[in-house]
Amino acid sequence: MINIKDLKKEYVEEETTTRALRSVTFSIEKGEFVSIMGPSGSGKSTLLHILSFLDRPTSGSYTFLGKSIDDMDDRELAHVRNKDMGFVFQSFNLLSRLTVYDNVEIPLLYSDIPPSNRQERIEEAVRSVGLAEKLHTEAGKLSGGQKQRVAIARALVTDPNIIFADEPTGNLDSQSGLQVMEVLDTLHKKGRTIVLVTHETQTAEFANRIIRIKDGLVESDKVVTNRQFTQHLK
Amino acid sequence: MLLSDAFKTATRSLTHGKMRTILTMLGIIIGIASVIILMSIGQSAQNLILGQVQGIGSNLLFVVPGAPSGGGFSSPASAQGIIITTLQQRDIDALSREPSISGVAAEVRGQAEAVYGSNNKTVGYQGVSEDFFSVRNMDVGKGRALSKGDIDSASHVAVIGPTLANTLFGTVVDPLNKNIRVKNISFRIVGVLSKGGTGAFGVDQGDLVIIPLRVAQKQMLGISHFNNIQVAANPEYEVAFVKARISSVLRQNHSITTSNKDDFTIRTQEDILSLLGNITSILTLFLAAIASISLIVGGIGIMNIMLVSVTERTREIGLRKAVGATDNDILKQFLIESVLLTVAGGVIGIAVGAAIVGLVYFVLSTFFTSIGWVFAFPISAVILGLGVSTVAGLVFGIYPARQAGRKNPIDALRYE
Repeated sequence: MINIKDLKKEYVEEETTTRALRSVTFSIEKGEFVSIMGPSGSGKSTLLHILSFLDRPTSGSYTFLGKSIDDMDDRELAHVRNKDMGFVFQSFNLLSRLTVYDNVEIPLLYSDIPPSNRQERIEEAVRSVGLAEKLHTEAGKLSGGQKQRVAIARALVTDPNIIFADEPTGNLDSQSGLQVMEVLDTLHKKGRTIVLVTHETQTAEFANRIIRIKDGLVESDKVVTNRQFTQHLK
Repeated sequence: MLLSDAFKTATRSLTHGKMRTILTMLGIIIGIASVIILMSIGQSAQNLILGQVQGIGSNLLFVVPGAPSGGGFSSPASAQGIIITTLQQRDIDALSREPSISGVAAEVRGQAEAVYGSNNKTVGYQGVSEDFFSVRNMDVGKGRALSKGDIDSASHVAVIGPTLANTLFGTVVDPLNKNIRVKNISFRIVGVLSKGGTGAFGVDQGDLVIIPLRVAQKQMLGISHFNNIQVAANPEYEVAFVKARISSVLRQNHSITTSNKDDFTIRTQEDILSLLGNITSILTLFLAAIASISLIVGGIGIMNIMLVSVTERTREIGLRKAVGATDNDILKQFLIESVLLTVAGGVIGIAVGAAIVGLVYFVLSTFFTSIGWVFAFPISAVILGLGVSTVAGLVFGIYPARQAGRKNPIDALRYE
C-alpha cells in the first residue's frame, strides 16, 4: 500500500537548513497496524504529514496504492486524502458548535458520494464507535474520549483504505485512551490499515509493528508478537 | 464540493454568531437603505416637479427675452439677471393675430411685502394680461379671475395663492373683498387660487399675488417691457410649428434677418420637462453616489470581520483541507459567506429603505398636503441595491477568502 524509499525532508529557514528526515525507507502493507514512535523532534510527525499527503518530501520516492506522489498535483492529493485516507488528531479537531452528525459529515462534503447516501454512512460510522445515541448532540458537550471517538467516526465515514492517527490518546485520560485504542484495534481486526504516531510505548504496543524514528532515520522496525492489548484489558 | 453544501456550510457559520453577523451587516444595511431612500425621494421629487410643469398645459410655450447664450439649455441673458427690454406690447399684438396661437399672456414679475393688518409676508407678484388665467390653466377656487375690465382699467385688484391667503387671513377670515397692501398700493382681493405648489421656473404659486399687468408695469416696476410672454398653441397645430411661427413673427417685429441674432428664446414645455428631468436625475444620482460611500465603509467592515473570521477558524480550515477540501473549496465557502452577508444586508436595507420612504410619504401626504408629494419606489433602486450588495460581497470577500484558501493545512492544524 505504502512504499517509501530514501525519503528526505529539509526545511530551509533564512540560512539554516533543518533536516527533519535524513533517509527513511519502509513499506506498509494493507491490513497492517503500524506505530511510528520516537522522541520529540525525531521527525515522526513530519513523516506522518508526508505519508498522509499533507506535505511533500524534499527528495526520495513515495508511492501510495501504486501511484507516485510526484505524479499528483495538489488537487489530486486532496482527492486521495478524502477518498483513501482518514485522519485522527491529538486535539480531535471537531467543530464544537456542530452536532456529531454534522462533524462526521464534513469529509463527505468534499467527496463524490451523493448526498442521498450520506445519512446512512454517517449513522453507520457513529454506531461503529459506540455513540449512536449522541448523533445529534453538539460536539462541544462531549467528553474527551467521546470526542476522539467522533473523530474516528469522521475518519471512517468515507470508508478509507488507511487511517492516520496522530497521538490519538495524547489529550485523554488513561481510561478514555484505552477506549479509543480499543476502537482502533477493532477497526484493524476488521481489516483496516492503521498508522499511528505516538511517543507512548503502551499505546504503540497496540500495533503489530513498531517503527522507531530517531534524528530523521529509522532506528528500528519490529513486528510485535506479544501485543499488550490483553494486558490493558486486565 | 456541491454549491448547496457550500451554501449550507456558509449559512451555518453565519447563524452561529448571530449578533456578530447582524453587526457586520449593519454597514451594508445602512448603505443600501440610504441609496434606496435617496433614489426614491429623488424620483418622487422629480415626479412632483415634472407633474406640476405638465399641469400648466402641454401646449404652452414660453418666450423670454435674450438669445440663448450658448445654445442647448444654457440660460438666456434675461435669466442671468441682465435686463433686456425687447419684449413689448407690439409683440403681444402681433402674436394675438397669429392663427396657430390660441392665447397670448404677457407677464412681469417683482417681489414685495404683502401686508394685511399685522400679518405680512414677502411674496412674488405678477402683473399679467387678460389671457393669463386661460393660457396657464390657472384655477381660481374662490372668487374670480382678473377680468378684461380689471386689466384694461388697471384696477387695484388681486388674485392670491392659497398659502398666502392662509398666512394673511388665517382660516376664519374670508379674504374676498379684503384689501392687502403690496409695495404700499392697496389691492382688493377678488379671487384665491385653488392650489399652490411650485409652478414653472420654481415659482411658489401658493404665495403668488396676481395683479393687472399695467399696474405692475407702471406703478410698481416703472417699466414698459415684459419679463416673458406665455403662448398657448392652437391645438390644431403642432407645437414645433407654433414655435417656428412665434420666431418668425418676433423676428419680423424686431427686424431680425438671421436666426443667430435672435433677441428672444422660445421654450416649449417639452424643453422644460427635459431640462428639469435632467437636473433632477443628476441630483438623484449625486445623492445616491454620496450614499454609496457608506456602502464602501460597510464593505470594508465586512472584509475586516471576514479576515478575523478566517484567523479564528484557521484550525477548521486545516481540518477541512486535511479531509479533502481543495483551496478552491475553502475559497468558495468564505466567498459565499461574504456574499450571503452582504446580500442579506442588502435585502434588509431595501426593506428598511422602503419602510422609511413609506413613512416619509405618509408624513408628507398627511401633514403637509399642500406639497402634493407623490410616492415613488423605483424598481431600479431595488435592482441596484441587490446588485451593489452582491458585488460588495464579492469584492470585499475575495481577499479574506483567498487568504483562507491558501492556508497550509499543517500550519493551520497547529494554529493555537
